[in-house]
Amino acid sequence: MTTGKKIDRRTVLKAGVAALGSSLSGISWAQSGDTLTMGVLSQQTGTFAYAGDLVLKGAKLAIEERQEAILGKKINLLVRDDEGKPAVGVRRLTEAVSSDKLRYFLGNFSSAVGLAELEVARQEQVIQYAAGGSEDFTGSRCSPYTFQWSAHAYTALRATLEYVSKTLPDKKKIYTITADYAFGQSLLHYTQVAAKELGLQLVGNDNHPSGERQFTQYFTKALSTKPDIICLLTAGADAVTAVRQFNSFGVKNVQIVGPWTLEVEQLRELSPAMRSGMILGLNYYQDIDTPVNKAFVERYLKAYKNVPSYAAAYGYDATRTLFLAMDKAKSVEVAAVMKALEGMQFDSIFGPTSIDARTHQTVRPYYVVQCKAPDAMKNEFDLATIVAQGDKPQPAELNECKRTV
Amino acid sequence: MISLLAAQVLNGLAIGMIYALTAFGLSIIKGLLNVPNFAHGAFYALGAYVCYAALQLGLPFAVALLAAFLVPALVGAAVEKLGVARLMRGPYLYQLLFLFGVALVLEQLIIIIWGTSGLSATAPEWLQGAFDLGFTYLPKYLVFNGCMAAVTIAVVWLMIERTRLGSQIRAGIDKREMAQCLGINVAGLVTTGFALGAGLAGLSGGLVLPLLGANSTMGAEMLSIAFVVLVIGGLGSLYGALAAGILVGLIQSVSSVFAPAASTVLIYVAMVATLMIRPQGLFGER
Repeated sequence: MTTGKKIDRRTVLKAGVAALGSSLSGISWAQSGDTLTMGVLSQQTGTFAYAGDLVLKGAKLAIEERQEAILGKKINLLVRDDEGKPAVGVRRLTEAVSSDKLRYFLGNFSSAVGLAELEVARQEQVIQYAAGGSEDFTGSRCSPYTFQWSAHAYTALRATLEYVSKTLPDKKKIYTITADYAFGQSLLHYTQVAAKELGLQLVGNDNHPSGERQFTQYFTKALSTKPDIICLLTAGADAVTAVRQFNSFGVKNVQIVGPWTLEVEQLRELSPAMRSGMILGLNYYQDIDTPVNKAFVERYLKAYKNVPSYAAAYGYDATRTLFLAMDKAKSVEVAAVMKALEGMQFDSIFGPTSIDARTHQTVRPYYVVQCKAPDAMKNEFDLATIVAQGDKPQPAELNECKRTV
Repeated sequence: MISLLAAQVLNGLAIGMIYALTAFGLSIIKGLLNVPNFAHGAFYALGAYVCYAALQLGLPFAVALLAAFLVPALVGAAVEKLGVARLMRGPYLYQLLFLFGVALVLEQLIIIIWGTSGLSATAPEWLQGAFDLGFTYLPKYLVFNGCMAAVTIAVVWLMIERTRLGSQIRAGIDKREMAQCLGINVAGLVTTGFALGAGLAGLSGGLVLPLLGANSTMGAEMLSIAFVVLVIGGLGSLYGALAAGILVGLIQSVSSVFAPAASTVLIYVAMVATLMIRPQGLFGER
């Protein structure tokens, strides 16, 4: 027996219109003046697949610290996977700006993708806080809308090689093995600059393609020049393979140096014996002795049962810096925040930090670590000791940024 | 320069033997089934992880290598018996898709069990270090790798050439229907051949573990090289797989002297050149 009213065509239409109306009001609420949309554009696939999730974890901690709101606006955090491809990154960013009103984003961990996104940020007038190793972010392609979190390649190479030349004065001959893309070539350029300044001799270089799995031929070639140091200017899975295969040579008198080569995640892929004694340059290491970093490491450990690394620190510190700039500007408008960021001096995880007003380079230290021997490790996270740090900025005459403040 | 070239030739030979071993297994399966085994890379990865797991359990390296052969061989036998064989009568595409699916499932299982981070294992102590040849250093483990691959290929080759099972496999490859008419259990033969091919891929994975480590994408990387070797050597040709494997290793290694950044691309250039000049491959008959 049916007691309900008969549902006619008009009722269905009315219900449809009502449903559409409520969903539209939902969209307009999400984009209303009470919400600020920020984003993490990173990758879940490819050489830096591990990094995407870590950048997000770091960014989430910074947002939680602010109770998910800034200047009375609720923060809406978007996550987009760029698959490690510049074209995909550009598409995802354009979509996020037009559909979701994205205004600030962290991207990218890969400089090739980040540099492609830089053009979109400029065109759409949204702020990009980038990582990655290419000097172009703050050099030839510097943009009002892009800021760089990672240390400058010059700062990195100078800090690492300065430590090497001080502690190993007899080791003068360096052979480089370089990743053949923007990041690697940028590091190679500044290896040449820093080596010249420090009186070190470059005896040869090989460029290897991204995704290389066979490095023995490069080492055979390198060892034929009788180098004192092999400098790995590569990153990610390629760097892990290179170190593993160098290890199979069992050569004890050649020092492996890796400025920007291996982060904590990749170090763990090597057995302790394989990495023991390596000298590495790092943008971040968990033992940095500053109040902001100590608090960050403690919260990260509690939240994720792990220590933070480069990617997580980038996610946290860049997001936190954006919030500090919003506080300073007393606004979340892009133009005002951009002005606030330029020349801003603040306390970051690195301690006293500033942002170069013209190039938008974050002026911060770069760290040199030495990997511990297996029996010196206190726990599974204790991989290395910070042995030096340096913050020498890129010489002004080498900067190709055409912007004037 | 000559000493550098000599060093790269030795290096290339050692690497090439591993490529040959992997492609040898792929060639046996291609010959018996007439289907390219898209799961071959996954068996290779499985071998590396099984070897790693065995070493973690404290088993000797030799036992770990044996496990790296046996486990993928058993999984291969099951895949053939339960899947490929049942799709034999259907269109060719079904087997192809099935094997592609097996590759994805195996890769995901590896990720579930061992995670996405790469894993490392060191070679036994007696295989660590390098031979100082005066003009170059040659890692002992690389030499061991090349020799192990060469010995395995020789043993399998002798088995195929000299034993009853081998002659049946050859008959299965060359004249399948005729072999069936002569009362040879072709179905069992195909399962055995598939297991052997998968086992050889697994053994390659185990052998390269101290050099390349184990990671979830290693199967796809090796699969593309194994297919290049197969195409250059001639589809289904066992001799071709051996010759082309060494050739690809040499191209990769020697080219690093002149054009390091092009070393990966050059093996594909060699494949295209082979297809243009001799479409059936160096040792292919058709």
